[in-house]
Amino acid sequence: MKPKVAIFDFASCEGCELQIVNLEEAIIDVAKLVDIVEFREAMKESSDDYDIAIVEGSIARPIDEERLKKIRAKAKILIALGACAHLGGVQRLGNRFSPDENKKEVYHMARPEDISDGNPYFKEPRHRALDEVVKVDYTIPGCPINRVEFAKVLVALLTGKKPPIPDYPVCVECKKKENTCLYTVGGVCMGPVARGGCDAICPTYGGECEACRGYVSHPHEKAQMDVLAKYGLTAEEIMNRKTMFTSRYTEKKGGE
Amino acid sequence: MKVHVEHLTRVEGHGDIVLNAGSGKLESVQWRVTEAPRLFESFVVGRPYHQLAQITSRICGICSIGHTLASLKATEAALGVEISTQSAMLRRLALHAENLQSHILHIGYLVAPDLFGAGSVFPLIETHPAAVHNIVKLHRISNEMSDLVCGRTTHPTNLVVGGVWKVPSEKSLIEIRQKLVDCVDTFNDVARVVLANAERLPAFSRETEYVALGSEIEYALYDGAIASTDTGRHPVDDYRSVVNEFVVPQSTAKYCRHARDSYMVGALARFNLNHDKLTPLAKQWARKFGLYPVNCNPFMNNVAQVVEFGHSLEDSIALINKMLNRGLKDEARQKITPKAGHGVGAIEVPRGILFHDYTYNDKGVCAKANCVIPTNQNHGNIQKDMEAFAPTLLDRPGREIELNLEMLVRAYDPCISCSTHCMKVRFKL
Amino acid sequence: MKIIKREDFKAFVNALIKDSGLDVEGVKAKGEKFAFGPLESADDLRLDYDVTLLPPKKYFLPQYEQLLKFDLSHPFSVDRPEYPRRKVVIGVHPYDIAAIRQMDSYFLDTDISANYLRRRKNTLIIGCDVMKVQEKAFFGSMGTGVMHSGYDLYLTDLGDRVAMEIGTEAGSDLLRYAKNIREASPVEVQKVKAMREAMAQKASRGLIVKPTGWHDLLEKNYESEVWKKQSDKCLGCGTCTLVCPTCFCYDIQDDLNLDLKTGERLRTWDGCLLRKFTEIGSGEVFRDDILDRYRHRFHRKGRYLPDRLGFVACVGCGRCASQCVPDIADPVNLINMLFEASPHLVQDSLSDPHTVRTDLQVIQTGDDAKMLHMPQAATIKRVEKLSAKETMFEITLDSGKTLGHTPGQFVEVSIMGMGEAPISVSSAPNGKSFEIVVRKVGDVTSKIHTMKAGDKVGIRGPFGRGFNVEGLKGRNILFIGGGIGIIPMRSFINYVLDHRKEYGEVTILYGCKEPCEMLFSKEVASWSKRDDIQHKRTVDKCPDGECWDGDLGVITTLIPKVKFDPKTTVAVVVGPPIMYKFVNRELLKLGVPEENIVVSLERRMKCGVGKCGHCQINGVYVCKEGPVFNYRDLKNLPEAFK
Repeated sequence: MKPKVAIFDFASCEGCELQIVNLEEAIIDVAKLVDIVEFREAMKESSDDYDIAIVEGSIARPIDEERLKKIRAKAKILIALGACAHLGGVQRLGNRFSPDENKKEVYHMARPEDISDGNPYFKEPRHRALDEVVKVDYTIPGCPINRVEFAKVLVALLTGKKPPIPDYPVCVECKKKENTCLYTVGGVCMGPVARGGCDAICPTYGGECEACRGYVSHPHEKAQMDVLAKYGLTAEEIMNRKTMFTSRYTEKKGGE
Repeated sequence: MKVHVEHLTRVEGHGDIVLNAGSGKLESVQWRVTEAPRLFESFVVGRPYHQLAQITSRICGICSIGHTLASLKATEAALGVEISTQSAMLRRLALHAENLQSHILHIGYLVAPDLFGAGSVFPLIETHPAAVHNIVKLHRISNEMSDLVCGRTTHPTNLVVGGVWKVPSEKSLIEIRQKLVDCVDTFNDVARVVLANAERLPAFSRETEYVALGSEIEYALYDGAIASTDTGRHPVDDYRSVVNEFVVPQSTAKYCRHARDSYMVGALARFNLNHDKLTPLAKQWARKFGLYPVNCNPFMNNVAQVVEFGHSLEDSIALINKMLNRGLKDEARQKITPKAGHGVGAIEVPRGILFHDYTYNDKGVCAKANCVIPTNQNHGNIQKDMEAFAPTLLDRPGREIELNLEMLVRAYDPCISCSTHCMKVRFKL
Repeated sequence: MKIIKREDFKAFVNALIKDSGLDVEGVKAKGEKFAFGPLESADDLRLDYDVTLLPPKKYFLPQYEQLLKFDLSHPFSVDRPEYPRRKVVIGVHPYDIAAIRQMDSYFLDTDISANYLRRRKNTLIIGCDVMKVQEKAFFGSMGTGVMHSGYDLYLTDLGDRVAMEIGTEAGSDLLRYAKNIREASPVEVQKVKAMREAMAQKASRGLIVKPTGWHDLLEKNYESEVWKKQSDKCLGCGTCTLVCPTCFCYDIQDDLNLDLKTGERLRTWDGCLLRKFTEIGSGEVFRDDILDRYRHRFHRKGRYLPDRLGFVACVGCGRCASQCVPDIADPVNLINMLFEASPHLVQDSLSDPHTVRTDLQVIQTGDDAKMLHMPQAATIKRVEKLSAKETMFEITLDSGKTLGHTPGQFVEVSIMGMGEAPISVSSAPNGKSFEIVVRKVGDVTSKIHTMKAGDKVGIRGPFGRGFNVEGLKGRNILFIGGGIGIIPMRSFINYVLDHRKEYGEVTILYGCKEPCEMLFSKEVASWSKRDDIQHKRTVDKCPDGECWDGDLGVITTLIPKVKFDPKTTVAVVVGPPIMYKFVNRELLKLGVPEENIVVSLERRMKCGVGKCGHCQINGVYVCKEGPVFNYRDLKNLPEAFK
């Protein structure tokens, strides 16, 4: 019997699900290995009977929380897909402000009663990672996920292997690719504390790593912050680097 | 009878369709956007200019290149940054890559199952292997072009304020050009399959205002002024007078209206406004499908996407030829000096016209942001189309009503994450 | 020395590029920096570079290298990667030539490095003089600014001309691609040599302690405060090891394709600054503190490799110094700081820090099947569950040969698509089959637990040094086994019991946490019945409802309960890391001489032959010099019983 896989999404850009489609010809191989029973972005069918739930997106409102708990109850294995599910996503930046402040900024033209907490679609969106709501078995990090890694995780799960998510900094793959270190050309980067596995895609194109895959399990955070300060960043600029994808680690309440 | 499609499938994001009818009369039909709001316009406030494109790219995984480019254009307008001709050409190529990827995804993976009477593309692997392989091939090569120009297909790493970072090598451009040339026959095969099944698209029509970028020199995608089939041209900076955003309680996405109660953006709008600037391959397919301006059948948006695929394919080849003729050169990274300013970036993304509007303080930190997404602009029109279309369906079985309403929403290729970020129809009989 | 005009030199390089049988690699600009890469035209070659981002090491030990391809339908008839193509690398600086020679010396002593040898033999090195010194380079201080061998050709850029020295016959043969070469005049020779010496002098950077003194300095200042001060700033990113021309450590990973059938085993660079470097299957990390990892890198370069191979594993290229973000990797700074803080007199303890073996004929002895980390096929004959976590497997090699192990040795058990795990052999060497006991902790061991009689596994080994069964004949032996320490010890116990008359008094002490964890219960029960051995067993605690006929208490409590002569008895101690501390202390207190305590240690043993670097305890390779050690040899190694 092929394992049944269901793919769900919450608040997200659905770019990670798109990476599954972006496996291109290999998606046909995937379809041979597992029965995809629900994948709203790509198929009409849905099912309540699945072994593996792959969930993209952050959990924002009470109605989302309820839906996730139902998914968890049905799934044997629950996988958090991408930075939104893993860390809360860039939208977690909105948690800096109160729900009312956010809504005022975005929906300033609305009648207040239409967007009040009485309307469940608008009730206090606070973005959180999946594991802040339910137990998560495995995480495929990244914004977006690395599709090659997605395939490897699937193979690992089907063969009884621990999913091979690296626990070394981005610097490792960056150095192996013989990139010029941004710090040596006047830039800064979160690579030394950020979890690798992305093949250092951003620094390879000259962009700084923003730690979209979260931090390694034992980040040398103090040393990293000292380095950013040494390279001339103000406290505010350092905070910007720390909060792009990883505000989960710095949020006072509800973070790790 | 009640129809409630909760979390409509094969669209990007979460949206519901709710229909109530009694004794053959429509009581109400409503398009709801239920996606959790992500509030980008609020939390980009306080972020430095170089992070804006990276953050707003995350509004949508399918049109992240478009968001990146609209964002960069807004920032560059605000900071007074000019980009080189080579950078502008590469950005046009990036936009084509996304258009190709998004259109083939929509036509091949999301709409084709309706045309073949299947629930998804997966059963088609067995029943229509050749068609699926052709679709996958077109999708893959579109993505290869994104990888080359943008660094990756989703959330591009190579497009930055002031230009592009890494210029592709001559060798890699020649390779991708060859692949695109090989794709022309594959595209013709896929288009023929769509044409053979096009009679499944309902013959529905409602007079509509269409809005898109318009330009005298090209089929406007990267640059142009705002153009409307009702009111003619408007400068991009006046976008607020065109979009007129408002909020409805059944939707976490904002709605828009201009000359009428609603308007439509997207491939059909672009075709209706700019058809004369299409490439010969695209024009040829428009004729074969019987698509002539101004066409007011929203289902023909699917066909307009097929036509545009042909355009982006041919124009990409032409662009690459132009770039190879000019010769490629590495450009030094532009030094950006932060300053206070306001800028609007408008761009045509697969689903229609997109606006990013930023205000920066003197340190180059974002003080105010507004993003108007194509699907937001379409929500009102989806509602109006539904109100006109649903009454024509009431004599049919529930399943068919559901399917037709779903196909209507899907024809817009809505990108609901973008617009809040929505879809599913649930029936209560 | 030959001289060739610049345009003729360019024509020479272009002719090499044109030869379809050759891959021509050379130094090119990469943004503001330089890197070795495929040359498309002689115009791209930059002999005026200062230093490349990565050393040419990548041509011999690539970042990612396929060791073997497999197909699970016939897992042991593996496809070897294609023979590497002939390559010419142009523009290798003398310090990098020195590093390549060190790498030769490191790898070319065992046939496991066959891939390395193949690449090395198929690559011609065209060296060149340094024309511009990178600001952090200090090869002048390391004596690696001038090399007299280790290259096939050697270039000196003289502007309108290029001087060439021929290093080997193969290098000389390459010159058939060149036109208009003439002999250098004595004046030209003198100028080139003077320029070369001057350039080496430029790259010295005020290193206070000569490389010959590093060993002593490091040894005497192992506990210096400098380590803490510097490592506090360390990001643990691994950059210093990854860019180093003399860091050779590697990891091995299996990649199974989406067909769940085919795949490959890959070797990839690893680095001792990375936390996971020393992690074993159970999750224990042996160098968890960044201070230990930071210190280990310098000690490996300045002490451990010199002890082993004679050379200081630093050539002064300055790559680590220029790429370390917090600027703590620079050997010049570290050595100078250490010296300044040192209260000890430092002596030159190395005579020549650059002694390397350059003979490429050393290896290629064994048969092809032993190459490339290639396991041999074996069959599981019998499976016996010993406890909730441990299962015993009896295995035979499909070749029909016996394993030929000594008690205490281990094998690498290999499952294609999953990886390899080091497992000690728990049976005495008697007969065709051997037994291993596997605790379920990681991917490989969990997979083995699902296997049954008739299933195939791969075996490499036996590896390491076992118990000195011959040397201990006639001696009194006290076995002290804790937890799964009994597994490797059992092979020796059974050997002794099989040859009971050849040994003196035999005492076996065995302790576990709980009765359910006791392994080999039948055998253990039989020990009590024998009158030619003393035996006691204990558990830390016995939960309600479980039966236990032995003592209660930790293992050390058994020691006073048995009679043995501390002066003449050899204690064999195997158990979890924490046990050694207490048991050894007790034994020493009773007067057991240090040299009479024998232990067996567990570390991350990946390659089994002292190459991958993971199992090192200070300078000692557990996979090679251990896992069985004499306590005397380990007691001064700070990392041994931490």
